[in-house]
Amino acid sequence: MSELSYQSPLAGITAPSGLSISIREITERGMIDLRGLTSDAAFMSAVKGVLGMDLPTRPRTSVSWGDVKVLWLSIDQWLILSSRSKAHELLAILRDALKGIHSLVVDVSDMRAVIRIEGEGCREVLMKGTSLDLLDKEYVQGCCRRMRYAEIAALLDVVEDNVFDIYVFRSYTHYTWNFLCATAKAPAKLKLFGAQEVPA
Amino acid sequence: MSKPYRLGSGGRLVDRTKKVSFTFDGKSVSGFQGDTVASAVLASGQRVFGRSFKYHRPRGLVGLGSEEMNALVGVGLGARHEPNLRATQVEIFNGMAAVSQNRWPSLNWDVGAINNQLSRFFPGGFYYKTFMWPQSFWKHVYEPFIRRAAGLGKAPEGRDPDSYEQIHVHCDVLVIGGGIAGLAAAEAAAANGAKVVIADENPQLGGLADISGGAIDSQSLVDWTAAKGAKLYAAENVHVLNRTTVVGHWHHNFVMLFERVADHDPALLSQGVPRHRLWKVRAHQVILATGSIERPIAFANNDRPGVMLASAARGMVERYGVAPGSNGVVFTNNDDAYQTAIVLKHAGVGVRVADSRARAEGALPSKAREMGIPVDTGSVISAVNTTWGGLNITGVKIASYRKGQGRVIKETKAEADFVAMSGGWNPALHLWCHNGGKIRFDDALQAFRPDKHHDHITAIGAANGHFGLHQILEEAYHAGSKLSGHGNLHPVPTAQQAEERPLEPIWFAPATGKYNEGNKHFIDYQNDVTAADLELAQREGYESVEHTKRYTTFGMATDQGKTSNINGLGVISEASGKTIPEVGITTFRPPYTPFSFGSVAGVLTKDLFLPIRRTAIYQWHVDHGAVFEPVGQWRRAYTYPKAGETNHQSIDREILGVRNKVGLLDASTLGKIEIKGPDAAEFLDRMYTNMFSTLKIGKCRYGLMMNELGFLTDDGVTVRLSDDHFLMHTTSGGADRISAWLEEWLQTEWTHYKVFVTNVTENWSQFAIAGPRARDVLKKLDPSFDLSNEALPHMSFVEGKLGAYPVRVYRISFSGELSYEVATPSSYGLGLWKDIVAAGAEFGLEPYGTEALHVLRAEKGYIVVGDETDGTTTPIDVGLEGLVSKKKADFLGKRSLEQSFLKGPNRKQLVGLLTEDPNDVLPDGAYAVRHVKDKPPMEMIGQVTSSYRSPTLGRSIAMALIENGRNRMGETISFPLPGGKVVRAKITDTVFYDKEGAKLNV
Amino acid sequence: MLVVKCPVCGAEGDETDFHAGGQAHVRRPATTDPAHVTDEEQRDYLFIRINPKGLHFERWRCDRGCGKWFHAARDTVTMEFKAFYGITELPPMDVIAQAKGQWAEYFEHRLKSEHKA
Repeated sequence: MSELSYQSPLAGITAPSGLSISIREITERGMIDLRGLTSDAAFMSAVKGVLGMDLPTRPRTSVSWGDVKVLWLSIDQWLILSSRSKAHELLAILRDALKGIHSLVVDVSDMRAVIRIEGEGCREVLMKGTSLDLLDKEYVQGCCRRMRYAEIAALLDVVEDNVFDIYVFRSYTHYTWNFLCATAKAPAKLKLFGAQEVPA
Repeated sequence: MSKPYRLGSGGRLVDRTKKVSFTFDGKSVSGFQGDTVASAVLASGQRVFGRSFKYHRPRGLVGLGSEEMNALVGVGLGARHEPNLRATQVEIFNGMAAVSQNRWPSLNWDVGAINNQLSRFFPGGFYYKTFMWPQSFWKHVYEPFIRRAAGLGKAPEGRDPDSYEQIHVHCDVLVIGGGIAGLAAAEAAAANGAKVVIADENPQLGGLADISGGAIDSQSLVDWTAAKGAKLYAAENVHVLNRTTVVGHWHHNFVMLFERVADHDPALLSQGVPRHRLWKVRAHQVILATGSIERPIAFANNDRPGVMLASAARGMVERYGVAPGSNGVVFTNNDDAYQTAIVLKHAGVGVRVADSRARAEGALPSKAREMGIPVDTGSVISAVNTTWGGLNITGVKIASYRKGQGRVIKETKAEADFVAMSGGWNPALHLWCHNGGKIRFDDALQAFRPDKHHDHITAIGAANGHFGLHQILEEAYHAGSKLSGHGNLHPVPTAQQAEERPLEPIWFAPATGKYNEGNKHFIDYQNDVTAADLELAQREGYESVEHTKRYTTFGMATDQGKTSNINGLGVISEASGKTIPEVGITTFRPPYTPFSFGSVAGVLTKDLFLPIRRTAIYQWHVDHGAVFEPVGQWRRAYTYPKAGETNHQSIDREILGVRNKVGLLDASTLGKIEIKGPDAAEFLDRMYTNMFSTLKIGKCRYGLMMNELGFLTDDGVTVRLSDDHFLMHTTSGGADRISAWLEEWLQTEWTHYKVFVTNVTENWSQFAIAGPRARDVLKKLDPSFDLSNEALPHMSFVEGKLGAYPVRVYRISFSGELSYEVATPSSYGLGLWKDIVAAGAEFGLEPYGTEALHVLRAEKGYIVVGDETDGTTTPIDVGLEGLVSKKKADFLGKRSLEQSFLKGPNRKQLVGLLTEDPNDVLPDGAYAVRHVKDKPPMEMIGQVTSSYRSPTLGRSIAMALIENGRNRMGETISFPLPGGKVVRAKITDTVFYDKEGAKLNV
Repeated sequence: MLVVKCPVCGAEGDETDFHAGGQAHVRRPATTDPAHVTDEEQRDYLFIRINPKGLHFERWRCDRGCGKWFHAARDTVTMEFKAFYGITELPPMDVIAQAKGQWAEYFEHRLKSEHKA
């Protein structure tokens, strides 16, 4: 019948004016949830064979190879990021490679919204919603972490300094977006630590 | 208005070139930039700031900062009004509107003051003794009386127009208090490279340094604190917070800071700056440098406007150039208050000193005498004379005093229009105590000071009971150095300070009369508790200080006993013959000072009040007029009324549409969990009451889940995708809970199972296409699979495509009609939904909402976990015993379900109900009774769990849990409703429609 | 607001990022011998808990992190965590040594029976 009609979680909503940082939706990202045991050599090598890189085993880190990035989610769970079309290919190849190996590979490309937060002061904006110390040296490129954000579960990926991707379950997209817009208003901009003006 | 109390010069904080005008109780008052409401109103000649809580006595200013308990004002108009602010902390700006509180009709003439004349009828424990009897008086007499007469301030009107926010911050060292000790500790910690946050409640750093005598490294204390403050503001590793009160200290050094960001400047508010910000600080080390709070002295009528703390009198002169009066008496038991006499004398204010100690020969008293200030030692103030109504002090009486003296015999009159009192200083250890810090009584200070604490918190300076400048500096620099990790000791500057002699406690200054003979010795000003009240409580047997506190309300007001605590304990000590440590101390609780609800809520208001979950079809529902209902955090379409339709009409139309044609439901909220591994089938057998290892690939099975108590917690349909791979559906509210539940058992009990569980709920949009024409609709959508009843019978599954859309199709039904649940990845959900709507048009397809869904399932007797179950309901209770396996050795809840009392004959069992009058719709939750009586109590035998008007049957239907219900088929039982009506209903089985299930298998 | 540290992934954070799961080391009798669980055993399993003033042993989940369950030893008076350890493990011996009352009895019994086995 008709064409496949794709709609991203935010469906084209853009940030209002007057924010201290940039906020936008990243659409059409392919995501695969992978589960398996790092103690299972067959699993680790099968995955490496498909992705061309070792799965990150250090907690809260990510690795990239070409246009594929893998986020560590747990000691037996990873999120593989790619383009949407690549994710379909990867899914089939992974399932094939992991046949007979205890594992679970699921396409979850439609499960989360991805919101990119960018700019000077974005750590402070995020710290209005998370109790994590994003000023700590742990939060540099290559770090990713699940967390409680505002009142929901979220996943944070440090893309580079002052560029963060925040992943939330799709149904919470608007809540997260509204929370970010509320906490990123320019008059509420904060700089933690560093030289301050002496008040009159 | 003239400014009788503004001095010709002086006032370190005010800028006399900048006039500021505002209103106090509607009257225009002008002050200077830098004034507080307290200083400006006092400067204008107005001494009365409010009326007291119980006696409505006129009250003036007592303190200088956050310890103020009398001068509480409301600030702002309408929606921006905020009550109960301490006038000493409110900075004035042009156009500000401030009002006094707890007075009617006016400050100077207050009707409630009659309470004062009747005060012998208001003893300690008054509330408990009076508002007891008769009960019927509560609603119409006592409560309105208390509400009118009591009440501190009034609530704002309308919605708060300002914004608020919260932020988390982590630091190595949090320094609380920006006085000399705090600045020194912060400097030392910062010098060692630590991340330091320093917070102070005042607009400027420095604490009380500006009214304390002495010098550091030959610099005045004002200059020294200013220089240190500037250095901290400039530092890369320090965050300085002014106008920020630390309101509480919790476990593991979690500290809450309340910042008043924009209260002092309406221009900031109009730019959209958050009004308040709540800081949630996690600190490795907390340094408590909160200083100390001066104690009042309990003398007769010590609450008259014009009686204030010595530090407040001194601060008014030094900071704002405002004199507390023209001629005053400093009443003290220590050397420190002589500084106030000296400052007043310098400012040209008449002053004399009454010192309760027999001798006053320290450096400060000597200096005062040299300046010609009369000093009476061994003396107390025994009376305060006022004009009628207690508004203005006309003089005091001074009597000679020896420790232990009970009653004054001889007193002499002295002219005075104000009193500056000082009973010594209490370390501000409230924050020390919030999280279980121990304290000990210091005999020299006659005050409690910090002892041990299990958390990483260190008290320094006056907060630790150290008042000598050199000692404070040494302790502060050491603490800052030591607690910042590296431990490099910061050099300690030298201090110069006048030597002070010890104080002598005075808990009660005698008067000519006894406690109740016209004399009130106030201990807790804010709650109007007097020494006599505490003494009476002792005589009445309130031995525990915690009981005395609650009985008299001493220390229970918003100031949390800042100034009253030790004085009260002193009185109790003398009345009970116990020492103060034996009396003990009441608990200080957060917050240190009240803080705004706005800051507690932060940005989580309006559309952020709760996390709201939307399906991918949400906007379509909105656009098509859906009425929504909350299901957990989800918002689901309840029904889609058309123009002119009521909700009822719309729901009926939707139900009949499904029964006769076809309907479309957004069921995306259903939980979906993928379960895979060699032990997946065995694992499911453990989780469900029924068997899943026997399920064939491509088939669906309805399963029940119990908790370990044997009670139902969830249900849903699970499909076997392959030998070791299942997809489980849960209830809409249950996805996260059940997925965590499965993980928990895998991780903690059956750890050897090789099973992975992934919650994929949000990846899928899922729709029910239900009704006799459902297959016709799907056929139009170009399915890649065979839809026939033979190829895809009831309770089977197929994966394929509908046109371009990848889908998983489950032939399952919650309506009793031919029904397919179609799932597609969420990003395609809206597209497929629209295609289904378009394809279904020719068959009469319309969307239906959750209410139609519920009626449809109730007509079929299908249960909803949470409606038909209440957390104590077993599968047997709801008639699903057949789904509880007898073959499986073990599954969750099995052993508990075997307990005799869960199988007893008198359990409530699920039955259907048909009311005698088919138009009667029983209310949800209505109780059935064994015998109807004229009035309660009646013996209840069960309750309605679901009740609807069924358009299919043209009458009402209901389900209920009724005692021994299944053995009472055909019996008629009674439901007495509020208002007296009794509805009678016949017990039936729960399936009202298509009992054979013929419609499912077409 | 406690600071909790997951021994599985090392994530440290506010207790709101974790989930408290009640007392540790509660044995489910039906797992081993479902046919012979007495009412008393089932009662103890479901309802009888230790409520000490002082050192206590608990279950926690790294709710907003790796999702794994673990054990913690916590002082209920000072709130200090003495140890975090695996969900299938016993506490470190030095922490067991600090256990008092019912917990001390429990560990003594448990260690003895494991020694026998």
